[in-house]
Amino acid sequence: MSSGGGPSRIRNRKAPSEASRDLSIEYDDDDERNNDVQHPRNRSYAEKVLETEQANVGMIALLTTLAFALRFFKINHPDQVVFDEVHFGKFASYYIQRQYYFDVHPPLAKLLFGLAGWFVGYDGTFGFENIGDSYTEAHVPYVGMRALPAILGSLTVPVVYAIMKECGFSTIVATFSACIVLFDNAHVAQDRLILLDATLIFFMTLTMYCYIRFKKLRYRDFSYDWWLWLLSCGTFMAFTWASKVNGILTVFAIGIAVIIDLWDILDIKKGHSLEYFWKHFAARAVAFIVLPVFLYLTIFWIHLSILTNSGPGDTFMSPAFQETLRGNELLLNSQEIRYYDTITIRHKDTRVFLHSHPDKYPLKYDDGRISSQGQQVTGYGHDDSNNYWQVIPTKALPETGRGRVVRDEDIFQLLHVNTQTLLLTHDVASPLMPTNEEFTTWPKDDLSRYNDTLFQLRLVDGYEGEPWKSKSGHFRLIHVPTKVAMWTHPKQLPDWAYKQQEINGNKNVNDKTAIWFVDNIVDDETGEDAKERTVDVPAKEPKSLNFFKKFFELQILMLQHNAGLTASHPYASGPINWPFLISGISFWTQSEGQKQIYFIGNIVGWWACVIGISLYTGIMLADLVARRRDVEPLTEPVRHRLLNSTGFFLLFWGVHYFPFFLMSRQLFLHHYLPSHVASALVAGSVLSFALSESVNYPVSVWGPRLRASKPRTYADLGSRGPIVVGAFVLLMFIFYVYIAPLTYGTPGLDGHAVNARRILSSWTLHFAAKPTDGI
Amino acid sequence: MCAEPTGASGGRGGFGGGRGGGRGGPRGAPRGRGGPPGRGGRGGGRGGGVAKRGAGGRGGGRGAPRGRGGRGGGKPGARGGSNVILKPHRHKGVFIAEGKETLLVTKNLVPGEAVYGEKRISVEGSEEGTKVEYRVWNPFRSKLAAGILGGLDAIFIEPGKKVLYLGAASGTSVSHVADIVGPEGVVYAVEFSLRSGRDLIGMAKKRTNVIPIVEDARTPHRYRMLLSSVDVIFADVAQPDQARIVALNAEYFLKDGGHAVISIKASCIDSTVPAEAVFAREVDVLREHKFKPIEQVTLEPYERDHAMLSTSDTIALDLGPPFDDDPRSSSDFEEIAHPSAHNAYWSQSSPAHHTRDEELPLHYMSEEKARRRVTRGPGGNGGGLATQTVEQDLAYDAYDAEGKDVYSKMKASRGPISSGRPRRPPPPPPTTLREFFAQNLEHIPPIIYTLLSCWTRFHKIGKSDVVVWDEAHFGKFGSYYLKREFYFDVHPPLGKMLVGLAGLLAGYDGSFDFTSGATYPETVPYVAMRVMLATFGVAMVPLGWYTAVELGMSWMACHLVALMVLCDVAWLCISRFILLDSMLLFFTFTTVYCLAKFHNQQYRPFTVDWWVWLALTGWSIGCVCSVKWVGFFVTSLVGAYTIEDLWDKFGDLKMSARDQLRHWGARIACLIVLPILIYMASFKLHFMVLSHSGPGDAQMSSLFQANLEGNTFHENPLDVAIGSKVTLKNMGWGGGLLHSHVQTYPVGSEQQQVTCYHYKDENNDWVLLPRWDESPYDPEGPIRFLKDGDVIRLQHAPTTRNLHSHPIPAPVSKLNNEVSCYGNATVGDYQDYWVVEVVDDIHRGGKDKYDRIHSLTTRLRFRHQASGCYLRAANAILPQWGFKQIEVSCDKENNPKDVHTYWNVESHWNHRLPPGDVRYYKSPFLRDFWHLNVAMATSNNALIPDPDKEDILASKPLEWPFLHVGLRMCGWGDNQTKYYLIGTPIIWWGGTISLILGTLAALVYLMRQQRKYQDMEPREWDHFLYVGKIAMLGWLFHFVPFLIMGRVTYIHHYLPTLYFSVLMFGHLLDHFVFTSRRLSDRTKQIVFGVTVFAIVGTFWWFRGVAWGIDGPINEHWGLKWRSTWNIYNE
Repeated sequence: MSSGGGPSRIRNRKAPSEASRDLSIEYDDDDERNNDVQHPRNRSYAEKVLETEQANVGMIALLTTLAFALRFFKINHPDQVVFDEVHFGKFASYYIQRQYYFDVHPPLAKLLFGLAGWFVGYDGTFGFENIGDSYTEAHVPYVGMRALPAILGSLTVPVVYAIMKECGFSTIVATFSACIVLFDNAHVAQDRLILLDATLIFFMTLTMYCYIRFKKLRYRDFSYDWWLWLLSCGTFMAFTWASKVNGILTVFAIGIAVIIDLWDILDIKKGHSLEYFWKHFAARAVAFIVLPVFLYLTIFWIHLSILTNSGPGDTFMSPAFQETLRGNELLLNSQEIRYYDTITIRHKDTRVFLHSHPDKYPLKYDDGRISSQGQQVTGYGHDDSNNYWQVIPTKALPETGRGRVVRDEDIFQLLHVNTQTLLLTHDVASPLMPTNEEFTTWPKDDLSRYNDTLFQLRLVDGYEGEPWKSKSGHFRLIHVPTKVAMWTHPKQLPDWAYKQQEINGNKNVNDKTAIWFVDNIVDDETGEDAKERTVDVPAKEPKSLNFFKKFFELQILMLQHNAGLTASHPYASGPINWPFLISGISFWTQSEGQKQIYFIGNIVGWWACVIGISLYTGIMLADLVARRRDVEPLTEPVRHRLLNSTGFFLLFWGVHYFPFFLMSRQLFLHHYLPSHVASALVAGSVLSFALSESVNYPVSVWGPRLRASKPRTYADLGSRGPIVVGAFVLLMFIFYVYIAPLTYGTPGLDGHAVNARRILSSWTLHFAAKPTDGI
Repeated sequence: MCAEPTGASGGRGGFGGGRGGGRGGPRGAPRGRGGPPGRGGRGGGRGGGVAKRGAGGRGGGRGAPRGRGGRGGGKPGARGGSNVILKPHRHKGVFIAEGKETLLVTKNLVPGEAVYGEKRISVEGSEEGTKVEYRVWNPFRSKLAAGILGGLDAIFIEPGKKVLYLGAASGTSVSHVADIVGPEGVVYAVEFSLRSGRDLIGMAKKRTNVIPIVEDARTPHRYRMLLSSVDVIFADVAQPDQARIVALNAEYFLKDGGHAVISIKASCIDSTVPAEAVFAREVDVLREHKFKPIEQVTLEPYERDHAMLSTSDTIALDLGPPFDDDPRSSSDFEEIAHPSAHNAYWSQSSPAHHTRDEELPLHYMSEEKARRRVTRGPGGNGGGLATQTVEQDLAYDAYDAEGKDVYSKMKASRGPISSGRPRRPPPPPPTTLREFFAQNLEHIPPIIYTLLSCWTRFHKIGKSDVVVWDEAHFGKFGSYYLKREFYFDVHPPLGKMLVGLAGLLAGYDGSFDFTSGATYPETVPYVAMRVMLATFGVAMVPLGWYTAVELGMSWMACHLVALMVLCDVAWLCISRFILLDSMLLFFTFTTVYCLAKFHNQQYRPFTVDWWVWLALTGWSIGCVCSVKWVGFFVTSLVGAYTIEDLWDKFGDLKMSARDQLRHWGARIACLIVLPILIYMASFKLHFMVLSHSGPGDAQMSSLFQANLEGNTFHENPLDVAIGSKVTLKNMGWGGGLLHSHVQTYPVGSEQQQVTCYHYKDENNDWVLLPRWDESPYDPEGPIRFLKDGDVIRLQHAPTTRNLHSHPIPAPVSKLNNEVSCYGNATVGDYQDYWVVEVVDDIHRGGKDKYDRIHSLTTRLRFRHQASGCYLRAANAILPQWGFKQIEVSCDKENNPKDVHTYWNVESHWNHRLPPGDVRYYKSPFLRDFWHLNVAMATSNNALIPDPDKEDILASKPLEWPFLHVGLRMCGWGDNQTKYYLIGTPIIWWGGTISLILGTLAALVYLMRQQRKYQDMEPREWDHFLYVGKIAMLGWLFHFVPFLIMGRVTYIHHYLPTLYFSVLMFGHLLDHFVFTSRRLSDRTKQIVFGVTVFAIVGTFWWFRGVAWGIDGPINEHWGLKWRSTWNIYNE
């Protein structure tokens, strides 16, 4: 906007020096130069001990063992359904029973649960109806199912450690980051239950790890290893995305990192040709677009090929989809409707029947408007004979045969069987909505309003001449003279209509909620029971539908429903509260013994992460401002490390966090867990920066075209490192143990113990002792 | 200006700004300038021995650059056909062309070629059929030419001489020098900047007597092998050590008896001392190097602060120039005042001295003009107006080198403005009326547009005599101002006060209630009111024009922007009624205009103009925000601009800390403090005007209401006592009154509902009673005043039930306890007890200073004695069964800072106590101001989509940019005049598409820059980015918030946003077409013509929707361009 911010200035400043025109490539991004060259033998004792292969392996073993121990400790407790196990346990059952269900999350993590359940011999009959239902009474092998997230959650800890190691941080710093995840009550609580987040986080950390390994091989591009890490990164990214809907954020984070990376390659100062750039571009397109999409589709394909039976998810789907499910009602009972059939008509969204009864609309409403005083037409939730309507043709019909079938765009009348009146609408305001038309009926024999009783059938996605079918034939009913659609909404009419639902004519004929279907054919035209028409028909085989059609239908529904989860929940919280652990979630309570599981993090670890992020932002901003004034407070190597490694972590943190501010759906603390892992990485690197300005260099793998331009340097935290980290981990552990009763749900706590554990007043723990009790 | 000493490019860093303005660039083929339509095509038919390719020749020049003028034959051209006589000048090798005007020319060494697009004059040669060509030498461009015209006695550059030219830049002057020295002579042209050097080399390819040397003139040893000794050194290196450089080069190359001619710019060397002193100092330096100054001329009026010094090297024994021997005055040289010597030169037809200015309006020929991308943009010289200006143009046209950016070598490459409208020094005061007109020609198009705009805006404005659309609201609010009754609305008051003012001026008495769809009675001068508000709409058009000018668009783009603002039917339609939108749009436009204007003042901070435009930007922000909160979006645009600007300044290490602080301070004062003051002032005025009690009272605090006339609160007894009947007002911002009604909760306890409600009725009345276990209240007994810590019972007066709470979750805030009404006058339990806790008193301060509780001013909290929770009414809304009133619950958290648990006694009835006095109840303005704003925000957020309304009027933001929906503004009956709010499709679609294209183009340019492709000069790039950012960011800031916010949105919310897409449309056409170097003028004119035709045509097609459609709508054919428009009845 204002002048001079153009890139050319920057270009001038960094005009290619003589050296960089040299043909051989130097380290660029990680171009850390360290003047005080340090010989490895001169390092402090602590470093020498810790930076060995044995110490490394030992540390990984220790961390992994601890992680398993903490996550498997009393994993059988509670033996009851906890929090969202209600959903995810149920979904596992559906896989085992192969019943179709619908959920907003992609299926990978749930498939794994199904697999785990099948593996431990679960038969899929348990309902997971309510929080607190007992597993032991129903003989559900729940421990086996809980073991899956516990294993994945435990493995996350060494992966975090490995990420830090690969980024060139010291063992002790890597341990610090890993411990923030290891001793975190929130992670442990989440990992021990049948919930999706452990899977999500595990795959997310693996994605980060692979990306870093891939990036480190950039001087050996297109080598075997390079491809290996690139493709595995794409694979794990797809798995993250397929585990939970938030996993898409990982895709964005990787996407941003890849764009930055490609932008660097494009830079002419790197001396690459455009062909070279396009090669890189293609490789990434394959690994980060083609491969993940393929995997994602494959997972859905598996999902859909397992769920072949009709189940609770049917009603979400379109009739065409439903007819592919074995045992679906649509498949069994869908009939072509013929003229003079008596049918019941049902609204798709609110599931009420089109109903009429002899009562009239009152002449005058409370707000002073006047009605036609015609017979009431309402929406009624229950089956009764006042819901019966007969289809009256407006054209000559052949005696028999297919000519009597009602088809799309036919115009007909609907006769209310009990009162022998015809459905009618006209330009009179409906009782509740002045903008919409009133629906009423008119005596069959009175032809004076014949035109107003004509309705046109418009099948949803129908083709011309498509027969109208019960169950599957979703339709709109358009009034011919006034062009309104029959519509209803959940608002109830007053007492004069027995609090039934209002039916009115909506001028927006394309309203998504103006869709109806024929529930049942009560009598066929001959007056016989329609069922007889079915008798001859053999049990139908499920139809097949193109996988991609199914896939896209499902995707769109998932998006719509995800956005639609806006109902309030007592434990929902806003994103701004999350990093500070302002409030947790009550997962489970048991009055007997005053036990509860309260999902909350380790406040020491979380606040350390917050401090780490603030420090990092502060340092980088200060550096930016200072450099603007030509002061360079950070040395180049340190600055590069902070920008490239820590910046990558911060990118993950931000991308997994900030989008939640824009979402209007229900949000919970556990949505922050992926960001928390990323913030643990940031905290680690800030700690490393705080303790020492030395860095491990080089981090990337030596390439064949690379000129050894700078000497190797080593990070050296000295003895400060182990001391600081040791003290911190001890503090975390103490806190962890202190909060553990809330995490493991055992042992029970009395009121005062609960109060003592309520560290922030905003934590809504149960069984708290009340000072005002007893008045 | 001069090169910055720290410039990376060293010697000629000053050139960095590039010839960005050049439309063709020096490499381009000579090309005529794009004339306005109708001016082309004249040039061919001009005959005469010497055809002058003057102004009229532009058309021909465009088509066939080479010499078509000469072939014209005997048919005299319409103009300019007069013969040109060529005379040699006093200086050898220089000629004068005398025609209609007199020009300095040199004989073109390479006939048929122009170097930088300068004019050429062909003359029949001595032999039949041969031609000699002369090139016009512009003194405004070349300091040497200026020196010649300035009366330099000797330039020493003559045919056959060897010249060392230091600071050759792109070689424009060099080419003339080369012409002068001719084939026998040699010009060694030294230039340090690579970019200019490239052009220089290009020029030298044609002129074999020029030897380009791309080196730093400070290091002559680097190029010493390239040249032998020279006769003359000409130096135009705008460097502080110029004299030293010249001396150094002289040492190496100047032959004995040689001469040096130096152009000195005073401010370049030291801007703090007066020019004369600088020159004297430079002369001293030269003397030290044994140069002997011969002569000095100032280059006024061609150059400010420049002097030309010719010296003689005293090494030479032969001092050549005879006049050197002449006795001189005390100074060693004489100063020659500029005009007198060559007056006649310029204008033989105007003998009077001052008429020179008339013939050569200097302000048009300033160097900035050359920097313009397109010279005749209205921002440039007002030539946008067609032919009548030709006569004026003539004089300087000849020198107009198509805006080639030769002069920018004088400029710092990254001056504070490399974007926006180029700087133009103020014109001299006009001396005649004709001159005045000439100077203000550029204002003619906007005047015409304004008149057109008046016509479109006012045409049939009173056609519909019913209350159209939101006139129902805003007309009514205007009425309240006239009646001075307090009302409440979600919008800030400025716009509605202006509506009120319009009503006042029109003689309206405020008695009409503006029912939607009602016919205006005789007493309402609605036409006058509409006209007054439409005036804001009229002003949008000239503002659009001038904004485009200030943004530095070409004249075609300016016309397009103004036309689009004029012709958009949505803007037109919305401006014609009693609505706030015309004012909102007007102030949005002024904000952008002031910002652009301010941007163009950047080259001289802290001058009067600078302050004026900065302050006006702030004023504009204040106004736009005081009309509607949507104004905050354009404010954020200004904010983003300012942040970037300050960030740039922050990086300017040369700027002193004091200046930094001044910059920051100025912006804080003008862009933050001033708007806030204006915003607050509008509220102050609002409160002052609305001094009577009215329908909006209940939204305000009790104290505020007490001060309204017609309100009886000030008669409340002061001290509250047991037995008083009171209403309790929640002190949370926008809080309501504690309310109960006979309906019961459908959930929880199913007892009687307790809510918070703004409307005043007797269901808000509560009686303060003692506890059950105390003796019942005795109306005759001693008065017991309420005090802190009392435990009381609150009885709902109409139903006699008691305010009650119990450990049952509240219906919405499930973590809190439910509050209900329970029992009756005799039945109740301990759950009815509430402890009165005093927080403080607004007037009397902390609670330890007094013990009685005052009505209105004392802030109370009610603690439920049994469960310890506090009575609280926050912003939770009950479902339909609670009539969407505010939920009241009992909060178990004791948060003493939570104002939603604060209550005060509002109405207070107790016949046993004396009435109070208004002096106890003063309400501080800031408090009311804040209170009202919070209440507005709360109501604004509560405007969530209502399913009843949504399908008909409301629309989603994503439906706007491509005009997916329209809006019926009134009834659609056959007999009604119908208005349909829809944009002109071409403008909306074009704008949106250009936003997408603009983003793509920027991305492509960025990627190409990453690969070091040089698509444009830095200045062009800066300009592209600057305008692009204003348009794109402005659009985003106005659009994205609507995507996020949950409130119901209508298509008219897009109208301010549209402006930025229109700017982008103009900018992109400008960038890709009108200033393109590849396209011919004809193409540009065709594109321009087609666009204008499309815009005006579509406008005319759709004019009815804004002017009102009569008769059955379905009889108006062809208005439904998209299937989603509900313009026709189905």
